[in-house]
Amino acid sequence: MTPEEFAERIKTKFEDAEVKITENKLPHPRKRIWIEVTREKFKDVVKFLKEIDPTAQFSIIIAEDRGDRLTAKYHWEMFWEQGESLSVVIGTACPKDDPVLPTITDIFPSSLPYEREVQEFLGIKYEGIPDPRRLFLPDDFPEGIYPLRLDETGIKPEMVKNAGHPYRRESK
Amino acid sequence: MNGRIEYWVKIPIGPIHPALEEPEKFIITLDGERIINVDVKLGYNLRGLEWIAMRRNWIQVLYLAERICGICSFSHNHTYARAVEEMAGIEVPERAEYIRVVVGELERIHSHLLNLGVVAHTIGYDTVLHLSWLAREKVMDILEDIGGNRVNYAGNMIGGVRRDITEKHKRAILDMIYYYRQEIMPKIEEIFLYDPTVEARLRDSGVIPKRIAIEYSAQGPTARGSGIKKDVRYNEKLGVYPDLGVKPVTPKEFTGVIKGDVFDRMVVRVGELWQSMEIIERALDQMPEGKIKAFPKDNMIIFKLKKAEGEGIGRYEAPRGEVIHYVRAEPGRDGPAKWKMREPTFPNLFAVARALVGEQLADVPVAIASIDPCLSCTDRVAVIDAETGKKRILTEVDLLKESIKKTKEINPNIKAKPEKIGIGRCVL
Repeated sequence: MTPEEFAERIKTKFEDAEVKITENKLPHPRKRIWIEVTREKFKDVVKFLKEIDPTAQFSIIIAEDRGDRLTAKYHWEMFWEQGESLSVVIGTACPKDDPVLPTITDIFPSSLPYEREVQEFLGIKYEGIPDPRRLFLPDDFPEGIYPLRLDETGIKPEMVKNAGHPYRRESK
Repeated sequence: MNGRIEYWVKIPIGPIHPALEEPEKFIITLDGERIINVDVKLGYNLRGLEWIAMRRNWIQVLYLAERICGICSFSHNHTYARAVEEMAGIEVPERAEYIRVVVGELERIHSHLLNLGVVAHTIGYDTVLHLSWLAREKVMDILEDIGGNRVNYAGNMIGGVRRDITEKHKRAILDMIYYYRQEIMPKIEEIFLYDPTVEARLRDSGVIPKRIAIEYSAQGPTARGSGIKKDVRYNEKLGVYPDLGVKPVTPKEFTGVIKGDVFDRMVVRVGELWQSMEIIERALDQMPEGKIKAFPKDNMIIFKLKKAEGEGIGRYEAPRGEVIHYVRAEPGRDGPAKWKMREPTFPNLFAVARALVGEQLADVPVAIASIDPCLSCTDRVAVIDAETGKKRILTEVDLLKESIKKTKEINPNIKAKPEKIGIGRCVL
């Protein structure tokens, strides 16, 4: 399946999804499909991916603090059996005062550690996640602090210790 | 009371157990000798690189990326450079692409030789460890010659590479390949493909079935050992790799069967050593003349990227699997607004944790070693007896003793001593 065919199938099934295809400038140009959906439709799109290709490989969640909302982008590699695979990025977002996204661990079990990571670093709550414990942060890390947030719930300057060059004199 | 007592033992391995590049904790629940559950806790080596990167500019992040891992140092800044190039639409000169291929494959050779030694050590074949690490010195010397360092050679720059490969390097690389082909590879094949003890010990241990590997998105040799024909260099049509004829290596081409066990993963690594040498030879043959950087001066890169906007993804097949980096740029900012990366051990770890269920405790070191980890000199296991609550500390030596004991049952002539030698990515 080519990227254009795939984009067409997504567009016909989900009309309000924004789909764009980018291409880079390598000797062998490479196309990527970027899809933006609302969080209500997100899980349906993911289910549809699994329907199209049951062997799709889940790669990464890129979660970000974008001011008044938190965004999450998910990457899949699809049709790796056919040689040149499809690189699909699906993005979704949630407002900061209601940071809830649906979990996809029931569709792609490999996404569980990534969701746990996003949950502790950016404070996006995953609805229905089977294992909500912390993965990276220590157990005595304060509650309500999300290290990668850029607002007041992020790391405060007084929390930072021993940063910078070890021999640099402190500026007064 | 029905008289039946559940006798489960929980064994935490770690946290100071850098089984894979970073210290982590495996909590293994045992029913007798059989593992019934494996839980993973990470973050003991969390350095907050993403947070640090918010305060760095585009070029400084390149060197920060290199320090994610000592062994895959080229892979990480290569992938980051690719992500930035895709984001800003920078065209890389063709010669630079070929140099990236050569250095990347040299790195693959040294990483795989390291892992072959580590797995041999965990089953008690210490001679193999010393010989394969001796052989590895040759490729480390070449890398030092090209990049100036044994690891962290800082070869990449956004839009090209920093160091050229001269005629002198070319001759040294071809000498190295001749030496490996004539002297090392026959011995390695003799040990990892045909030795009856190694086969008996590694066959059917730590099996990751194809279904689990797909479900848990295993990467690299771990996936290919389970028969998944997936290789980012091939699937992604990365750089000039399609011109060099790269194909995923599966154990089927060597042994005819795919079982997805530790043995198969080692077969894949041996096959990739052959493949890497071929790729290097072809790349050196086809390498065109020309410049190696898209921008002659580094400050031009910052100047251009300050105006850039958009997002890009870079993917690369590191020795251990798919590395993926993401960058997003905001105009007016001289560093990435977001930089996110994922290394292949992350999914592999959960795949192997799932695969360990049903195996024996003595297989834990070898199964963890087979996805290319590092056993540190400091790792130890605390065994807490569920009934008496008594604590017994198993050190690395004890674990190795168990593993060697199992090998001795197969071949009583093994005379390995379980001694601390400090294998680890910290000892380079």
